[in-house]
Amino acid sequence: MAVYHQMGHHSENLLWDSRLSLYSGAILSPVNYSEADIISQVEHASRQGNFEMIFDPQLYYPRSDRGLLTSWSYFPNDVDTTDLGSEKWWCNVIDNVIDTCQRINPTAACSPALAPNVFNTEYFSMITRLGNYFVESLESSGINPIQTLVCGLSYLSQSDKAAEIASIISRTKAETIYLIFISDIAPRRELNNTEEIKGAMRLISALESAGLSVIVGFSSSDLILWKAAGATACATGKFFNLRRFTSSRFEEPSEGGGQLPYWFEEALLAFLRESDVLRVRKAGLLSEASMANPFGIEILNQLDNCPGQAWLALGWRQYLYAFADIEKRIEENALDVNELLINAERLWLLLEDKAVLMEEMRNNGEWVRIWRRAMVEFK
Amino acid sequence: MKSNLDIIAFAICEKEGYEFIDFVGGGTFKETFHIVMDGCSYALKVFRNGYSPKRTERELEAMIKCDHPNIGKLIFVSNFIHDDQEYLYTVEEYLAGGTLTKKLENGCLSIDEVLTIGKGLIEAVSHIAGQNLVHRDIKPDNILFRENGTTPVIVDFGLVRNLTDESLTQTWLAQGPGSPYFASPEQLNNQKELIDWRTDQFAVGIVLSICCFGIHPYSNKGDNPSDVVIRVAHREPLNQDFVARANEIGLNSLIKMVSQWPIGRFRTPEELVKSWPL
Repeated sequence: MAVYHQMGHHSENLLWDSRLSLYSGAILSPVNYSEADIISQVEHASRQGNFEMIFDPQLYYPRSDRGLLTSWSYFPNDVDTTDLGSEKWWCNVIDNVIDTCQRINPTAACSPALAPNVFNTEYFSMITRLGNYFVESLESSGINPIQTLVCGLSYLSQSDKAAEIASIISRTKAETIYLIFISDIAPRRELNNTEEIKGAMRLISALESAGLSVIVGFSSSDLILWKAAGATACATGKFFNLRRFTSSRFEEPSEGGGQLPYWFEEALLAFLRESDVLRVRKAGLLSEASMANPFGIEILNQLDNCPGQAWLALGWRQYLYAFADIEKRIEENALDVNELLINAERLWLLLEDKAVLMEEMRNNGEWVRIWRRAMVEFK
Repeated sequence: MKSNLDIIAFAICEKEGYEFIDFVGGGTFKETFHIVMDGCSYALKVFRNGYSPKRTERELEAMIKCDHPNIGKLIFVSNFIHDDQEYLYTVEEYLAGGTLTKKLENGCLSIDEVLTIGKGLIEAVSHIAGQNLVHRDIKPDNILFRENGTTPVIVDFGLVRNLTDESLTQTWLAQGPGSPYFASPEQLNNQKELIDWRTDQFAVGIVLSICCFGIHPYSNKGDNPSDVVIRVAHREPLNQDFVARANEIGLNSLIKMVSQWPIGRFRTPEELVKSWPL
């Protein structure tokens, strides 16, 4: 029922692009922005009407992935020496996050949560208790509290883990769960483990069935799976056409060498490089949705009329538009995820038969069958 | 059952001027007697020597915290010395309507009775949850009735767990506490991180299903009680006959209450109360 911008480096210009107006809010990033920047983003949003600004304190890896985090007053000075398993220490951090929230005044705020080295029931119990302390502390602040749930996909692949985690986290006093999947999958690669995906889908489905709203953070094309499992909302950012929630996710794209632009192709559920866009277009397999994507139209015009001109920024927008558009059509029952997957599989086979080979060797659609299996088997 | 503590109960009554009426019953840690104090009936509970002080402390604290018409009321706690031995005793309200176990000896209850009893039990469990407690031993033996015979009252907080306390695992049996036949999978598997008020919800669901249909929702034809306990512990599917009958009489709340995982049950006491058709 909603999509959110996952804010990244230099992302604020995307928030107010009228062609990306399907986004109902943004998840703010203290790793990439200072407190003053975020206050200004929130103030700007409040003048735009009904636009949600969700503050995520991003303390997942406080000892390594810091970016601008250390400039924030809630960032603990003793983080390198403390016992990160101490609830008392986390309560102190929460008190400071609450003070910060009151200054920046977002629409909603996510409870702080660590990404642990090892997932177990004690960890999930602890983040739920801390989340409930966070909810109580935000009472009567006017800021909507959200329970953060960080979960490793490999842990979720084990039998019954989804039900176990959902049983614990559903003790939350919040009404919304901000769900972050941690995976060791390489950047630019789609999720490719059926058991992991099934576990993730079961978790979403169980939480939603219990009356909790789930926002899946840091999503990419896997949005279709989370929506099929019943997720209320998904969030993505311009870099999530390429990247995953891994410990290196906060590293900025390499300077100098330049980033390659990608096109998200709904028909293939794949990200395509420039030459591949042209190949797929030549084969007549670009989807209607892609051809109607205003940024897609611009990219194709540019490729036809000004070949060689950079289209990285347009590529981000093409992806962000497609992400929101797909979510909307799934919600409106205008797009069936199963059919989307079946069609994608058919087209990948067709490309194979026609010997249309993508520039990237691993861009071969092999994940589509894995996703189809997860769809069939997760229930 | 024969009393071992009746001499102590007599002596307490004699000293305090209470009228001793009868021995009611006994368990591992204590015995209960019917007494009359200032013209009213009460339950005198005398703890055995060697009773578990920690367990008793938790039980009494829980009873003091709870104040609800469907939960047994503690009047006071005291000590009595007899033959140089100190005995702890409590005086609690006397529930004259007997146990649910007794009621079930005559077979299943009518739907109206189940609805009334269910309402009382659900309200009691909601109240217990509101105190951040889990009773962990709800079963027909621990459900008594007031004199009217229709108002159920949950008693015996001996296995209560305060969710704000540090770990209590050292006191647990290998299988986890509680009466296995009414226990949830998380109790039977000793998954302490999964235990919360929904554990009590499960037990109430089992009790009410038995009241309604005379069968445990996880039992299959020919099962003995230990087979059923194993099925619950393994989180096997519900008996489809139970599911069909619960749906047929409009008590589908029961199906949700006895879900294998807490996430499948009613998430909040308010939702459970709202779901009950009375």
